Amino acid sequence: MSFDSVVVIGGGPAGLRAARGIAEVGTPVVLLERANVLGGTPILENYAGITPHGEEAEPVMRRMAEQVTGNSLVDVRLETTPTALSGVPGAFTLEVAGPDGTSEIKCGAIVVATGFQHFDPGRETQLYGYYEFDDVITLPDLESMLKSHNVVRPSNGQAPRSLCFVQCVGSRDRQIGNEYCSKVCCGVASKEAIEVKQLHPDCKVYIFYIDMRMYGYWENEIYWVAQEKHHVQYVKGIITEVLPKEDPVHGKQLIVRGEDTTMGRPMELPMDMVVLSVGMEPSSGTLDAARILASGPTGSGSSTRSAARWTPSPPAARASTPAGRHWARPTWRTACPPERTPRCTRSPSSAGTRRRWPGADNHHGPGPGRRHLRSLGVLRAGVAACQHLGAVPDRCGPGAQVGGDAGAGR
Amino acid sequence: MTIPIEAIRSKKHAGFERTEGRYPDFREELEHLADAGEIVVQRVEGEAIEVPTKFGRPKMIQKGHLWHHKSCGQCGHIPGYSTSIFWIMRKLGLDYEDPKDQTSCTAWNYYASATSNAAAQAAVAVRNFAAAYETGFFPMIHCGTSYGHYKEVRHELLAHPELRADVRKVMDKLGKPLVLPEEIVHYSEWLYAIRDEIAAHQKVDMSNIAVTVHPACHYYKLVEGDAIYDPDIYAGQRTAVVTGVAEAVGAEVREYSTWFDCCGFGFRHILVQRDFTRSFATLRKIERMKEEADPDVVLTHDTGCVTTLDKSQFAAQAHDRNVGVPVMSEAQFAALAMGAHPYKVCQLHWHSTNYKPLLIKMGIDPDQAWAEFQEDLGKLERGEKKYLDWDDVG
Repeated sequence: MSFDSVVVIGGGPAGLRAARGIAEVGTPVVLLERANVLGGTPILENYAGITPHGEEAEPVMRRMAEQVTGNSLVDVRLETTPTALSGVPGAFTLEVAGPDGTSEIKCGAIVVATGFQHFDPGRETQLYGYYEFDDVITLPDLESMLKSHNVVRPSNGQAPRSLCFVQCVGSRDRQIGNEYCSKVCCGVASKEAIEVKQLHPDCKVYIFYIDMRMYGYWENEIYWVAQEKHHVQYVKGIITEVLPKEDPVHGKQLIVRGEDTTMGRPMELPMDMVVLSVGMEPSSGTLDAARILASGPTGSGSSTRSAARWTPSPPAARASTPAGRHWARPTWRTACPPERTPRCTRSPSSAGTRRRWPGADNHHGPGPGRRHLRSLGVLRAGVAACQHLGAVPDRCGPGAQVGGDAGAGR
Repeated sequence: MTIPIEAIRSKKHAGFERTEGRYPDFREELEHLADAGEIVVQRVEGEAIEVPTKFGRPKMIQKGHLWHHKSCGQCGHIPGYSTSIFWIMRKLGLDYEDPKDQTSCTAWNYYASATSNAAAQAAVAVRNFAAAYETGFFPMIHCGTSYGHYKEVRHELLAHPELRADVRKVMDKLGKPLVLPEEIVHYSEWLYAIRDEIAAHQKVDMSNIAVTVHPACHYYKLVEGDAIYDPDIYAGQRTAVVTGVAEAVGAEVREYSTWFDCCGFGFRHILVQRDFTRSFATLRKIERMKEEADPDVVLTHDTGCVTTLDKSQFAAQAHDRNVGVPVMSEAQFAALAMGAHPYKVCQLHWHSTNYKPLLIKMGIDPDQAWAEFQEDLGKLERGEKKYLDWDDVG
């Protein structure tokens, strides 16, 4: 027995693109979203302009959502989350809880597009005082201010005279266990730096970084524009601490301290605002999905492997080594590695499709999806999905239009 | 204010969820080894106060019936630090043990010269813990360096069975069990836990006293998860201990830009390059405090920090630097707030930087207090008493 529908968990950019792509090949889709609105993090975190072209996030996500809600093959269920899984790949029964109680969905495959959440800078070894100082904010906080076109110091409502970004907060950090690069923060910080300068041309803006990762069009459309046109100052040297300082002339400020590694000397600068470029972490939805779906069927190798790759190790797990017992660090993963929205929207569109499908009007044409779906089982939306399908590595350049939607993303 | 700023404020006000740090909770392994019969765990008993730590694990601080693990540096150089801790405990009516068989933790050896070895350091620690266990009094550590060192030793013992085997051999020769306390407690954590009781016994008004706080590296940077972080103090972003006590007695805690900096003690370079210690302590800590906060007193909670920050200032003063602010432990400050004698209990005459303006601001006449102290010393000179005891100090 097999079921011919696909469940997509997550109504953000990746989930919307997956749902649209699957429906376009003629397969019914049930899209589950825990919030009461589609759009995911760009909407819930009030993103403003998205890279590289700066189009506002809200209209972009609205268009993506309308492409899904307007498709008769897509059943969108808001405020709905998965609670249990049974069956085998090709013939799953997914129990879900929604506003009308619990129900069951029969599906052939499941796409997990539960996305990320921003790293919380209050915890761990960070010394940036996010919860202590009003004027220390994060990238998404600044996004919400940029969305309202009003960037002011939270402490006193005045325009900032100086503002800095601290990169890699919660990423590339062996101390806290998030050793990966979150990939988007350099581009987003540079974009926001430009937007701050556009609002406040006299504000001195700095970006303190380990190295700037400016992929594709970010290089010439954001990175050099920020420096050459808007005079954003990039300083190689991460900030180690943020403390308050009372200045007799300028009043309350923050002091940021670190090392300018290019000049080989310590630096200490007064700032009106500090923006922490917080990275990505598995969202609570991802952790829930990992728990629910990983405890599901183990008969299929692919689903076991897929689930195992993002099943967190229990904190109490130990590995016996010749040196003795060691505590294993809990290992958490997002449903896929951190990705920019363009790649997140390209990969899921392949998640339920085959390449070179005749008769389609997008890059990834329709194909014998039904037969393929049965072998997919539980699939993580993301780059790995393309590899599972044996798809040709990305031949679309960054920022390319995908399937007619606005492929530009963060 | 704009709506996004209100939203940001609400989000910050809601606080953050403390999650597990790099290492899982040490207690899991501790209990596992106790269940396996490998180690003996001395339990927190009687009345205990729960305090929050960095990653959310609640820490239990036993309130009374404590075994005082004293500090060699305090007893030797700043004895008022130790006597203030004892005095406060006596004033609150709590019983304690002042052991005669406690050894130095020997962390000085480890940090200064690295000529020791893991088994020796761990055996010294466990021997002291066993001595406390045998009395039934729960150990409380006076020195921040001992405390940080013991936390590291605990981790080494829990993670390495071969180290436990070596230490067990030493303990067997001494006829003592391999003991670890359920919690390793620093006295400043105990003071923080009972700060409201200290305030309830307060006799001196501290509301006109401005303080700056220096947090000891060995307290919160070693085994960082096991340190007190309170959401109500620094919004849980910096360690809470000394600040909590200062605020509880009504002092004004002021900020300065080198809060996170080490005092500069440096166990090695204070021996072999002491000018570095003095430069660091005065230029990066004391001068910054004076310029930015102009405090009446600097409070800290470690032997080395009090020593360095206090006793480095004379050298800088000779070069007309902007120094000259008294330094003491928060235990001495709390004792003064409770009415302790500045010389008989807090023994401020052992301190280097001039503390008399501070006493005057507190409403204490230093000359009269000195005369009282001299009168008591006269009894010793006349042979009427061998030494001053608790009945003499009030």
